[in-house]
Amino acid sequence: MIDNVLIDTLVTGLPLVPLVLGIYLVLNIREDFDMTVEGSFALGGAATAVGLTGGLNPWMALAIGAAAGSIAGLVTSQLNLILRIPLLMAGLVMNMALFTVTLRIMGMPTMSTAGMETIFSPFVSSPGREADVAMSIVLAAIVSVVLIVFALFLRTEIGLSLRASGRNSRMVRSNGVNDNGLLILSLMVSNGLSAFGGGLMIQMQGFADVNMGTGMFIAGVGAVLLGVLLLRPTGSRVIRIVLAVVVGALIYRLILVSALRFGLPAGDLKGITALTLVLAVAAQGYLAPALARYRVRLSRKREPAPAPPTPIPTPSKETVDA
Amino acid sequence: MHEPMLALENIRLVYNRGRADEVTALDHLDLALDPGEFVTVVGSNGAGKSSTVQIISGAQRPTKGRVRVKGRDVTAWPDYRRASMVARVFDDPRVGSAPDLSIEDNLALAMSRGRRRTLRFSTNATRRNRMRDELSRLGLGLEDRLHDPMGLLSAGQRQSITMIMAGLATPDVLLLDEHLAALDPATAARVLELTADLVAEMGCTTLMITHNMEHALRLGSRMLVMSRGRVIADVPQARKQHMEAAHVVDLMVGAGDELTDRILIPELQTEGAM
Ligand SMILES: Nc1ncnc2c1ncn2[C@@H]1O[C@H](COP(=O)(O)OP(=O)(O)OP(=O)(O)O)[C@@H](O)[C@H]1O
Ligand SMILES: [Mg+2]
Repeated sequence: MIDNVLIDTLVTGLPLVPLVLGIYLVLNIREDFDMTVEGSFALGGAATAVGLTGGLNPWMALAIGAAAGSIAGLVTSQLNLILRIPLLMAGLVMNMALFTVTLRIMGMPTMSTAGMETIFSPFVSSPGREADVAMSIVLAAIVSVVLIVFALFLRTEIGLSLRASGRNSRMVRSNGVNDNGLLILSLMVSNGLSAFGGGLMIQMQGFADVNMGTGMFIAGVGAVLLGVLLLRPTGSRVIRIVLAVVVGALIYRLILVSALRFGLPAGDLKGITALTLVLAVAAQGYLAPALARYRVRLSRKREPAPAPPTPIPTPSKETVDA
Repeated sequence: MHEPMLALENIRLVYNRGRADEVTALDHLDLALDPGEFVTVVGSNGAGKSSTVQIISGAQRPTKGRVRVKGRDVTAWPDYRRASMVARVFDDPRVGSAPDLSIEDNLALAMSRGRRRTLRFSTNATRRNRMRDELSRLGLGLEDRLHDPMGLLSAGQRQSITMIMAGLATPDVLLLDEHLAALDPATAARVLELTADLVAEMGCTTLMITHNMEHALRLGSRMLVMSRGRVIADVPQARKQHMEAAHVVDLMVGAGDELTDRILIPELQTEGAM
């Protein structure tokens, strides 16, 4: 029972991790709202499904799906920059427009990819428990690569500008960075990630649905809040950021999967999501000060006595992320 | 004839144009600064000092007139493009630094100022050594706290770091807009010392706005007095050396400006800044 819950959580939760990462990028790093991710999740799924049906290599199909999402992000950024539509509104509009685009791409509301070659095919023979375990291992490997690449990216000069830009765009500009360029980049990366997650999702579940993105933004926000609550990442703690994303996404799925396993009907899941979100937000307010106090005590203990130690040569030590 | 480092030509700046609350912040402003010149700027509230800085940094486009740096017309350049030549320290240390990022990340961001950002890592061993060297000159022990978030530091510590940041990628023009305003007298004195050292070291053209008459007279090689969007007095070093703070205040009052308690003259200062 317990391990069934865990496997279900991994298989259905891991494809969401890229989406949650994309939402974290815009919501927490850029401190902005972009609803396009819902549309690009379905778009990525659809483009990947069409690719699979056309006999494309499943990795290639995934890449095309992700690229489609990035283009959607690019369009949203231009709506904001050129037409000066507020980002929240631009995202809502794009989300709606992408429904039609997705439907057009598939030519039908739901498209089955059952029996087609997927990224899982080499590792999965017949459906069942073992197949689920194999799939979650493959997914875990892919998601790990995505998270590591993303963390490394955040450490680059461009990634650093991105991390500074959300809170303090004036500072970033006065240091010579084009803030508009960062907006375009963040929306392209975020929607590309979301679409990539959609591509993973359809290969895992064996079908694409034009509505598969609906509610994903708020679900992703819930996951981000959970992750932030548990790991308290800050702008310079890059490893914590990606850990918060994966932990948040999986715990969010765990709550939903457990609810299903305990016999709640599928229709109750939206209610559970809403409840999780409310509790996560409330917990931010109530628990955060308590947690912060705890953390301060911890860090005081870790700190050496006021006398500064002689600088230790630390050529390879990147950060003190823990 | 040599080229001025920075030239403002017949600048006019109007805020909220065509609206009821239209304000002419700068009018017929001409200014030429030579390479390496250190100019202090005084003037009562609303005189247009910050507006001048905004025009030079590119944060505001002039309604009329030209801005030249090193002879190049940069009037149409956005602020981030000018950052390769112009560095700026804000009056509020919170604006000049990112509070949730570590000291190291803040310094790394400033180290790449004016260069194209790449996919290279923002910090490496060489850069980190340079950061420690620069921080150790502050004598605040910050060189051992590279990983602490900037937000944990006091206003004085943060402003000291933003001064260091402004100098990391040596600018041609350095703009300081009341950068000591948020600091207590002792800290202000320390950061002022650091300012003088850095400016002397880099030899960059510097514009320092202050409400402290003593600072304005003691530092720099030239002093400008502004009033109602214009420069009403341009005091060269020879005259500045022998000038009294009260005389500067007379100049401002003569221009019809009201004085506020933000204008500090030495006789009125209770806690001597120096
Ligand atoms: N963003 C703005 N919008 C509208 N009016 C502005 C704006 N910024 C400045 N002003 C106006 O322009 C004039 C010049 O302001 P500025 O900030 O340049 O003065 P200042 O000399 O820096 O004064 P202070 O000593 O108070 O800092 C003032 O009348 C001010 O009210
Ligand atoms: Mg001002």
